[in-house]
Amino acid sequence: MTPTRREFFSLLTGWIAAAIGATLAVPAVGYFIGPALKRKTPGWLNAGAIAGLSTDQPVQREVVAETVEGWYTTQSTKGVWVVKLSTGEIQVYNPHCTHLGCAYAWNPDAHQFQCPCHGGVYNLDGRVIAGPPPRPLDTLEYRVEGDTLEVKYEDYKSGTHDKTPL
Amino acid sequence: MSTDDPKESSVHTKSSLWGWVDSRLKLGSVRHLLLDEPIPGGASWVYVFGSITLFFFVLQLVTGILLTVYYAPTPDHAYDSVQYIEHQVTFGWFIRGLHHWGASAMVVAIGLHMLQVYLYGAYKPPRELMWMAGVALFLLVLMFAFTGYLLPWDQKAYWATQVGTNMIGTVPFVGDWLVKIARGGAELGALTLSRFFSLHALVFPWLTVGLIGLHLFILRRVGPAGPWDEARAKAVSEPFYPRQVFIDAVAILGAFFIVVAMAVWVPFPLADRADPAASDFVPLPEWYFLFYYEMLRFFKGPLLEPVGTVILPALFFALLFALPFIDRQKDRRPVKRPVALAAGAGFLVVVFLLLGVSLRRVWSVPTMPPEVAAGKTLYEKLQCSACHRIHGEGGSFGPNLSYVGTKHDREWLIRHFKNPQAVVPGSAMPPFDLDAPSLDALADYLLTLK
Repeated sequence: MTPTRREFFSLLTGWIAAAIGATLAVPAVGYFIGPALKRKTPGWLNAGAIAGLSTDQPVQREVVAETVEGWYTTQSTKGVWVVKLSTGEIQVYNPHCTHLGCAYAWNPDAHQFQCPCHGGVYNLDGRVIAGPPPRPLDTLEYRVEGDTLEVKYEDYKSGTHDKTPL
Repeated sequence: MSTDDPKESSVHTKSSLWGWVDSRLKLGSVRHLLLDEPIPGGASWVYVFGSITLFFFVLQLVTGILLTVYYAPTPDHAYDSVQYIEHQVTFGWFIRGLHHWGASAMVVAIGLHMLQVYLYGAYKPPRELMWMAGVALFLLVLMFAFTGYLLPWDQKAYWATQVGTNMIGTVPFVGDWLVKIARGGAELGALTLSRFFSLHALVFPWLTVGLIGLHLFILRRVGPAGPWDEARAKAVSEPFYPRQVFIDAVAILGAFFIVVAMAVWVPFPLADRADPAASDFVPLPEWYFLFYYEMLRFFKGPLLEPVGTVILPALFFALLFALPFIDRQKDRRPVKRPVALAAGAGFLVVVFLLLGVSLRRVWSVPTMPPEVAAGKTLYEKLQCSACHRIHGEGGSFGPNLSYVGTKHDREWLIRHFKNPQAVVPGSAMPPFDLDAPSLDALADYLLTLK
């Protein structure tokens, strides 16, 4: 069936509107969601001298992370936990409990990491001993440069079995 | 009992979705009201400019709203946020390009629309109010341009607005007071930027939406004017839909593609970050204000200056508003309106002459005195740019020389070339053992960097 003259013009006008709309909509969506989905790659942060670590005695070391949010750069201080295990191996833990992200602390008397919020308890090498945490403490990547310990700070999704970077 | 008009609703019985909505919202009569307005004399390519202007307003709304997603209207972040949009956000350069060139396109479209209305005498009774609402919209477009220019907070924006707001200060008696209100204080700064942003992104858009509503409401009450020949206007009549809508759509598509092409292929980088201390930056207004900028050169001195900055623009807009009451000749045919047409043509000639003169001045190669040129050649030969940067060109190991002419005098520069460490202890610059004319030429060149 051939369209009427009126239908023909309507159809063409509709196509023009759709073409302009699409030319705008695709960049607009990319523009709006693009930066939100960009992955941040963490850099190496200074976590102090390696010499100050004693075996089996976790210490909290402050690292200064530079956070770039679009055009805005801020510095924030994070307190990572550093442990020198009896094997000589070093572990660096993200300071948030894997259950719901509370800040946990080392209890030297009980020789455990304890979370005050819901009673999550971890041992020295980060394994869950008691409470609701679904996975061990999140270890952070580190390297030793000369005498200095450097870590890559990252936060992870809380409450999941798998360690998923935010 | 149903009030449906079967004839109106029957057009779209084929589409079940339309039918479903229509049976509830009774859209048939709305559709009739919106689209079936009769156009005297029939559809024409001459009538597309109003629709194009409206389209560009919508485009500016959409791209402007998108820009606000990442833009920060404060002096410490505005420039960075625009750089971020331009260089890092997905399609940011495209959205900003559309907004930038869309603004120019809007000025062109509204200008052509007004010229068409003027030529066709469409401002004459009974369409006086429609014309006046249109002039108010034109004023708003110019205000959009003026306030939007400041927002990137680069040197161009800062100094052009400095000049623009200073012009408000030439208003007799209340000038000083008006400048303070425009700037939000004595100085151009954070409060100026935030109020310009508020006006540009909130106040003016809503005013414009309201005035467009009024403009179109009046159009629907009085109807379009049609051809200037009344006999031709009465002979044929055609509804707005579908042919005029289609013609408008094709014209809009063409205009849109031009703006898209400009956004893609014509870059407009930001100038240096706004620096209130660099008082020798010579700002240029947008091209559509250039003719006026050129005209202002003829109005110098305390008595003449307000004539150019205040009295002539005020008179011009007063004349535009009152045009339907000044030009009382009923006949719309151009041949019967020699005075009106001569005045319009005269205005155009003056505007384009001024624009031409201004463009020649702006684009002409700046003449460089021979000693300065020799200094520039030496600067390149000695590879100074390996360490020094001038307006974005060159290395960043040594100090930036973009404004070195404002910081040091000739004597200091020459002493420094000969023995940098004696003038700046610890400087890593090697000494340059040049003859006196070369040292002079190099200093001549550096002193022009302001």
